[in-house]
Amino acid sequence: MLRRVPFPVLLAMLVATPVLFGVAYSALAVLGIAGAGASAVADSDRLFSVLTDRTTWRATGWSLYVAFSSTAIAATAAGAVALLFPTHKRSDRFARSLATLPLPVPHLVAAATALFVLSQSGLLARVLHALGLIDAPANMPALVYDAGGIALILALAWKELPFLAVVAIALRAGIARDLEDAARTLGASPRTVARTVTWPLLWRGLFPAVIATFVFAFGSFESAVLLAPIDPAALPVLTMERFADPLLARRGEAYGLALIALGVAAVAVAAHEVTRARWGSLVR
Amino acid sequence: MIGCAHRRVLVRALRSVVLALGVTVFVACAGETSQQSAQLEVAALVALPWDSVEARARGTTVTWRKWRGDPAINAYVDGWLAPRLRSLYDITLEAVEGQGPEIVNQLVLEREAGRGRGTASLVWINGETFSNLRAESLLAGPWAGVLPNAAFVDSASPIISRDFEQDPSGFESPWGSVQFALIYDTVRTPKPPRSFDELSAWIRANPGRFTHDQGFSGITFLKMLMYARGGGVNAFANGFTEERYAAGQQVVFAWLDSTSSSFWRNGSTYPPDVAAMHRLFANAEIDFSMSNNQHDVVNKVRQGVLPPTARALVLRDGTIANSHYVGIPFNAPNPAGAMVVANLLLSPEAQFEKQKPSVWADGTVLNVRIVPEPWRARFANAEADPQAIPRDTLSRYAVPEVSPRYHERLNADWRDWARAATSSREP
Repeated sequence: MLRRVPFPVLLAMLVATPVLFGVAYSALAVLGIAGAGASAVADSDRLFSVLTDRTTWRATGWSLYVAFSSTAIAATAAGAVALLFPTHKRSDRFARSLATLPLPVPHLVAAATALFVLSQSGLLARVLHALGLIDAPANMPALVYDAGGIALILALAWKELPFLAVVAIALRAGIARDLEDAARTLGASPRTVARTVTWPLLWRGLFPAVIATFVFAFGSFESAVLLAPIDPAALPVLTMERFADPLLARRGEAYGLALIALGVAAVAVAAHEVTRARWGSLVR
Repeated sequence: MIGCAHRRVLVRALRSVVLALGVTVFVACAGETSQQSAQLEVAALVALPWDSVEARARGTTVTWRKWRGDPAINAYVDGWLAPRLRSLYDITLEAVEGQGPEIVNQLVLEREAGRGRGTASLVWINGETFSNLRAESLLAGPWAGVLPNAAFVDSASPIISRDFEQDPSGFESPWGSVQFALIYDTVRTPKPPRSFDELSAWIRANPGRFTHDQGFSGITFLKMLMYARGGGVNAFANGFTEERYAAGQQVVFAWLDSTSSSFWRNGSTYPPDVAAMHRLFANAEIDFSMSNNQHDVVNKVRQGVLPPTARALVLRDGTIANSHYVGIPFNAPNPAGAMVVANLLLSPEAQFEKQKPSVWADGTVLNVRIVPEPWRARFANAEADPQAIPRDTLSRYAVPEVSPRYHERLNADWRDWARAATSSREP
């Protein structure tokens, strides 16, 4: 049967198979017939508990907020780097290199650094105290384990920026200059050219990478476990919390949470496909 | 571009991979029957003379899944224990990361994958992990009683002979014992509170300077509070009942409702684990840290994690003491090697080394009055670190664990309480 399967479909199957196995296993586990604490009879207790628990939806909403905020900051900064430093001049090359510098830093190190710098006993608090801007380091606003997720958003944005900047810089170099020249010849100001020609073309090219970083940030565990508060919980941390719950019966809920995360990722990818298709039809 | 012939080869290779995946899954699903072999091997080993067990273990590798989060413990295992096993039995010890819930999940997955033999021969466990592993039939045994060094175990101590009130029944062998302690700084808090009443008053008088973590230590702290305010440990002993838990839980949450607004960040969030507690304490964001090991402070001061003036503190209401154990998974690839390692862990030499303040400072599970000389004398004259709490003080205030169900339920209910409470509080 496999002989009749076209080559690209076969490749796609190979990539998708582990995910499909994961989905199937998660479905069995959340129904209580696979995983720790499983029994021979399926029941909907875990699924019902996940879907009706306010914590689930607060965590989903908060993780969406964190992923959206960090990706928006990183995408804006990456776009700015590509637009402001496009030439081969040494200063532009230097600026572009600086923007891509965090690329090899592991996410865990970035999160630990954020903890070291931004906590109330951290480097920033001590510097601000030394400068007399706050009475005591502890008076610094809470940026770590805070409901605003400030340190987490900044750490994720800092790690996403170089990836998006590399893509944006490459796109900027490939944008047809004749389109920009045509706009300028027709009297458009540099700002108008950037807003109506360069940025839309850049954004369309950058969009798949933005979706990828958004989904990655949404599912990022190692940064969230170091920087997120107990409430609202980050969805990946809540998932791990349930997966390691001393109550065996509660561990199946982790699979329900994982399926919600997968659903969010699928929606993001679908939105990407729909948007790209719409852009394609507009071009045609 | 890829050539036509190459493409055909690639397609064939990919089809093979997809087929292989399918076959693997099928074989995995069909392979349940081979899982009994480790259990049968353990049953056979316990009937053999000990030197035969040692002979079978010689020249093998033992993979030990254990918590690897403390450099002092790692140094003891990798730097002292592993070379001893190598020189005495030609056993290679491989200590790999994994603790509590991860061990349970890993073994469940291995069972579901249908692998005849798993990855680890020995696991470091206690309390609710032991309970979960037994409930899921994931441990081989009984075997612990046949270890020659088991004769020296202090079996009269309920803290060692019962694991969270559970009878180990030979499915786990004790390795060490610890006792919960608060950690304070003698400079910052020269007169620390000595009871829960004093601690409550101190927290209210010093808002923002106290908290507990979300992990095992934090829940143990709350369980001690449940004992202290709920009628003592005997009110919860001898198994779990819903009524007694409801009464205990009410006591805990009443205390938290009245006190937690004076916690660090007004109780709007809690540090994720003990490592975060130690960091906040060392940076003077809070004035108390905590640990499940009364001697942790000695190690952490030596490692430079905590300030030199940090000391352990036990509350007079009683602090929970428990033991930790090693078990052999149902699918252990090397049960004989695991038994030899467990026996060496129980040897007076290994227990004495582990107890040294400069090594790990973990309490012994041996009855030091019955171990052979020269170990009896060495234990009797064992050095005590000046930073450590005296042994008689520790034993005076030690209270045992109760059924693991209390821990499981309190852990789940505290998280629900904390999430409901924190939503309404500003940091």
